[in-house]
Amino acid sequence: MWRDILSGALIVVGLLIISLSVYGMLMMPDIYTSIHAASKAAILGLMPFLLAAMLTGNPAMITRALLIAVFLILTTPISAHIIGQAAYLTHEPMETEGAINESGQELSAASAAAKAGD
Amino acid sequence: MPVLMFNLALIWLALLLLATILLVIRARATMVRLLAADVLTLILVAVLVMFAQREGAAYYLDAALILALLSFIGVIAAGRYYRSGRPF
Repeated sequence: MWRDILSGALIVVGLLIISLSVYGMLMMPDIYTSIHAASKAAILGLMPFLLAAMLTGNPAMITRALLIAVFLILTTPISAHIIGQAAYLTHEPMETEGAINESGQELSAASAAAKAGD
Repeated sequence: MPVLMFNLALIWLALLLLATILLVIRARATMVRLLAADVLTLILVAVLVMFAQREGAAYYLDAALILALLSFIGVIAAGRYYRSGRPF
């Protein structure tokens, strides 16, 4: 009985965090801000689901859920880094209000238009 | 009772999948599209975990693991291809 209640609570928490992540991706204006919502919040929202799967007590399920959790924690920062690096190196413009660009690279909308015009 | 809970969670996850598919279709930049596809895979992993708990079968989690692995490889290859014109 307590397992059902606990796994239900974990699933509700996970759904809430994943919904926040999708909402963030819908609302964020450019790639550099939506990476935050897509990588960190989505992984954080997936972890309660895997914890709820571990609560079932089935050893086959526990090992597989643990494997998925470890693999996702290891690989999601790498893929987010690759996406951010590709956006930065191809001069993806920053569109957030008051964004400060401290890198040496031009990342404004004007420079992207100039690059497209070349 | 738990089956009803899992079904409600699956309905909510299906709505989130729909929103993410719309995001993949309507994104302005290519990298936002790739990022949305990554989130789509994560939500699919959550759907498969829900199925595994509802049916009490562990083999759904094998599919979830392979999906996560293929998504990682795909994002790496697509990102590097977009950056430099070749995947590796």
